[in-house]
Amino acid sequence: MRGSGYACRAGLGAGLLLALVQIGLPAAHAAQARTVSYYTTEQAQRGETTYQQFCAVCHGASLAGAFDVPPLKGRFVTNWSGATLDRLFDYISKAMPLFSPGALTPAQNADLVAFILRENGVPAGRTELPATDAALKTMVFPTISADRVK
Amino acid sequence: MLVRWHWRGQMQKGWNLTGFDDNQKIRRLRLKRRDLFAGSLAFGAVGARGMWNSVPAAAAALQRTAVGGTVPRLVPMRAHADQITDIKVCLRPFRPAGPRLDVERVGDKVVIHNYGHGGSGWSLSWGSADIAVGKAASLSPRRIAVVGCGVIGLTSALSAQRAGFEVTIYTRDMLPHTRSVRANGSWTPDSRIALTAPAGPQFADVWEQMARYSWKTYRDYLGLPGNPIDFRDNYTLSDTPFEEGPEPEGRTGPGDYASTGMPRATSEFATYGDRIRDIIPAPELLASQDNPFPVAYAQRAPMMMFNFGAYGHLLLSEFYQAGGKIVIREFHTPADMKSIAEPVIINCPGYAARDLWGDRTLIPVRGQTAWLPPQPDVMYGVEYKGAAALSKSDGLMIQAVDLNNVGEMEGVGNSFEHADRAEAEKAIAVFENLFARFPAGRG
Repeated sequence: MRGSGYACRAGLGAGLLLALVQIGLPAAHAAQARTVSYYTTEQAQRGETTYQQFCAVCHGASLAGAFDVPPLKGRFVTNWSGATLDRLFDYISKAMPLFSPGALTPAQNADLVAFILRENGVPAGRTELPATDAALKTMVFPTISADRVK
Repeated sequence: MLVRWHWRGQMQKGWNLTGFDDNQKIRRLRLKRRDLFAGSLAFGAVGARGMWNSVPAAAAALQRTAVGGTVPRLVPMRAHADQITDIKVCLRPFRPAGPRLDVERVGDKVVIHNYGHGGSGWSLSWGSADIAVGKAASLSPRRIAVVGCGVIGLTSALSAQRAGFEVTIYTRDMLPHTRSVRANGSWTPDSRIALTAPAGPQFADVWEQMARYSWKTYRDYLGLPGNPIDFRDNYTLSDTPFEEGPEPEGRTGPGDYASTGMPRATSEFATYGDRIRDIIPAPELLASQDNPFPVAYAQRAPMMMFNFGAYGHLLLSEFYQAGGKIVIREFHTPADMKSIAEPVIINCPGYAARDLWGDRTLIPVRGQTAWLPPQPDVMYGVEYKGAAALSKSDGLMIQAVDLNNVGEMEGVGNSFEHADRAEAEKAIAVFENLFARFPAGRG
């Protein structure tokens, strides 16, 4: 249940834990991590299963990547934070897994995004990450607060 | 030299991901050796028209042999699987129509594409960069952006600087993390550069322009400290005569690119090497008394190669010294180009263009090289039994070439970017066995 503790702190701090809503203006992304429900714990767990099956062979079990394979933590956040999540979802959908691009279902790809968010310190919420571009376009890959860096 | 190109073209395709039993292996290797060299001489049939269509054909017809005593004492290669220090896998960005060099507008930015050079990126880089920079210059910008920092991006950036522009490179990765440095690093200007039909006859002229321009530019880097660019004598060995015969079809399925959207046979791939044979050293046969190898037949040709470490660092140094700047940035969609400050962008993402620009004509062609410790006293390369070895400043490079007998089709459509150690060990075993019997008795 990684991330849930942060969700509670952030949510309680904002007094909005039971009223998480999806707002999604890119300009608001810095605050978005504290107010948006990105994914559920169950969804990220499904994503982890998919990740270990299809992604870990290249990106590693801990998402650390390798010399010739980009990590999915650290620099990854620099590369994607501020971008709307439909772009990451699209990229994974079309380009991954590298050895068989486009092989996974939209639901699996959304689960993977949820797992990646969790592994980068984004807290779980009560709403599953959607698996459509239209919905994801309203959500932004958040910046990660210092206390959540993994 | 063309025998090497042809062979190199096959060299860069030998990625055996499927096992086969020993009988099959022996049969295929036998076929391969015959077909390989026969293939490289096949164009000689055109000699009936009073001309040779390839350098090896001409050399074979002329029966030119190396002057006696010009084969130096060769230090044997130490080729053993337990000496592997690295295995690199690359995905060649192959486009059936040839590299993308057109101009596109994205918002108020002008994007000049320069990607999709297949197995010829290193070889054609300077010439391709010159074309891209020429298009950029016609727009008279003061500043130019280059996206990507592989060999195409770096040479584009340096060419733009030399043309007087201020240049910033935007890239996700720097050397040695770009796919460029996972190549074998030798002069292979028409290795999976295009398919003959989709590229059309006009691309042959563009190819020749790029190849000649690159060749001359590389000559400027010869003899420098660290030998960023160098030549090696390359020996092609065979147990059977380098004789003529039908070119292997190298077919992997029915149809062709036009009907299936994927090339299906080696014969679909373009070969342009003859167009520059006037500047490329031709191969010569070794007389049996001069042949130090324990095989019946050997050819020798000088071959240009690129030492990644020395050359890569030199290019980067030149870029910085000329005031160039590098920004680490990952682009997710073409629309992201609008965030670049410079008005003109030379786009050099390599294989990443497939997803960044949605270029589905970009086909991955997997290639793999194994690297053993540098052996600076070994100053040559060898090609034998479907494998190649080349001594470079950053290691002894050994490559499986042609174990599946499908010619240029090997690795086409394969985007599995993982090391196949078994393949590497098979290739190394070819040379381990060869040099266990080395040198042959002379005279």
